[in-house]
Amino acid sequence: MLLEQILNGLTIGSTYALVAIGFTMVFGVLELVNFANGSIYMLGGYITLMIYLGLGGHFILAFILSILITGVVGFAMDRVVLSHLRAKKAPKLTGLIATMGVATVVDNVILLFFGSQTKPYPNMIDFGKFYIGDTAVNSSQLVILAAALVLMGALSFLTYRTKLGKAMRCTAQNADAARLMGINVNLIIAVTFFISSMLAAVAGTMVGMYYQSIDINAGFTVGMKTMASAVLGGVGILPGAMVGGLLVGLFETLGASYISSGYRDAIAFAILIFVILFKPAGLFGKKKISKV
Amino acid sequence: MALLQLENVASNYGSIKALTNVSFEVNEGEIVTLIGANGAGKTTTMHTIAGLKELNGGRIFFDGQDISKWETQRKVKNGIVLSPEGRQVFPDFSVLDNLLMGGYLQKPAVNGETLKTVYDLFPRLKERENQAAGTLSGGEQQMLAVGRALMGKPRLLMLDEPSMGLAPLIVKDIFALIQRIRDMGTTVLLVEQNARAALKISDRAYVLETGKIVLSGTAAELLVSEDVQKAYLGM
Repeated sequence: MLLEQILNGLTIGSTYALVAIGFTMVFGVLELVNFANGSIYMLGGYITLMIYLGLGGHFILAFILSILITGVVGFAMDRVVLSHLRAKKAPKLTGLIATMGVATVVDNVILLFFGSQTKPYPNMIDFGKFYIGDTAVNSSQLVILAAALVLMGALSFLTYRTKLGKAMRCTAQNADAARLMGINVNLIIAVTFFISSMLAAVAGTMVGMYYQSIDINAGFTVGMKTMASAVLGGVGILPGAMVGGLLVGLFETLGASYISSGYRDAIAFAILIFVILFKPAGLFGKKKISKV
Repeated sequence: MALLQLENVASNYGSIKALTNVSFEVNEGEIVTLIGANGAGKTTTMHTIAGLKELNGGRIFFDGQDISKWETQRKVKNGIVLSPEGRQVFPDFSVLDNLLMGGYLQKPAVNGETLKTVYDLFPRLKERENQAAGTLSGGEQQMLAVGRALMGKPRLLMLDEPSMGLAPLIVKDIFALIQRIRDMGTTVLLVEQNARAALKISDRAYVLETGKIVLSGTAAELLVSEDVQKAYLGM
């Protein structure tokens, strides 16, 4: 029973981690809290569903198209909205409010197209259940966990080993200095949005399949929970977002099964408050020392 | 023909005018210094040339081309490289990674060669190759900042306050190195609070006051000029 709950928690946590990675990457390069991240996640889930139904059953194709389209939406969000604010040297708060505006637009577009009812979602990764000892393991869980882990590995490779990743980390550490290296900072930021939105689309689709349903409120809750995950790990730190996401998923699942399922969503926020009070830099965060 | 030429350059921060009318030139192979008090507009001038700050009037030419509207990355690609005030190294990156970022627009083979030159100039950086830049001393960070700028293969190397916050002995080293860099064929535009040391290694200099060039001449002339001695050399 406990092992099953741990597996449940890690499964959902791994999807939080994917969304939290995107959130934390955007925060890293821009110091911007992207409130639209949750809505983009939901959009990705809906787009997959729409293409899947439209194409009459080509799930893999629908999934890939959805990841790309959602990525482009994220890219466009930066080019159309946020890059103009940066060019005008608008305060950070303006950017934050703009992301809320984008979230409102995305949410309402989804509402317009799909309506407010919960939609059934096909589960294409359900190959049945099996048992390890007494523990029931669902094949969907394994697929989700594996996909999330592979993506986290790929993201780590991208960030720490490639030229693009190094340019992203330079931009995160010091955008003006990055410019002086010849890095096209605006492009790097837009690409970061592209990647973060693709991750959100993957997570949105996998969670839709896992719960076999999607509804119009999914974005807000997950947006908040992944923000809590990123803060728990230390905002702007890639491994922090991964561990933070897994922990939030784990805690909320254990809390829901051993305390009361009514508290499921509250647990993420309890964690958020606790971290901000007692370890504001997060698990992986360190205090900054600057030399004169 | 001058390598770099500023023609009536103006630059504002909102309604505050930082530069009103700055004209000067730097010839190939020279070391030229801008001296001036805090707030005179030295750093703004450097940022405007590098493209970190947009131009609000006038024009800038480099190698005969009008570069007034160029983005920073295009300027870097063409050999205009700034080592900014306060060093601005990437603290989480190793010394080597910092240097390689300086060669971001260069081919890997070229970077390998430039790296040798940089390690030759700054053997200390070679010793600390794998150390995080944030853990270096101030002097080492300054060497790293200059080395990183050299990795961009500059034709014009701009150094903003390279001696700031450093011990006198290290300041001497840094200035000697700037001379060596020039002797290797790189033109240098220098901004310094330490006017005396800067003038000693410079060919020519300009004095900037509240956003305007008020005095210019060879470094030797300015070193003995009464106005400069009173205002900037503390005599």
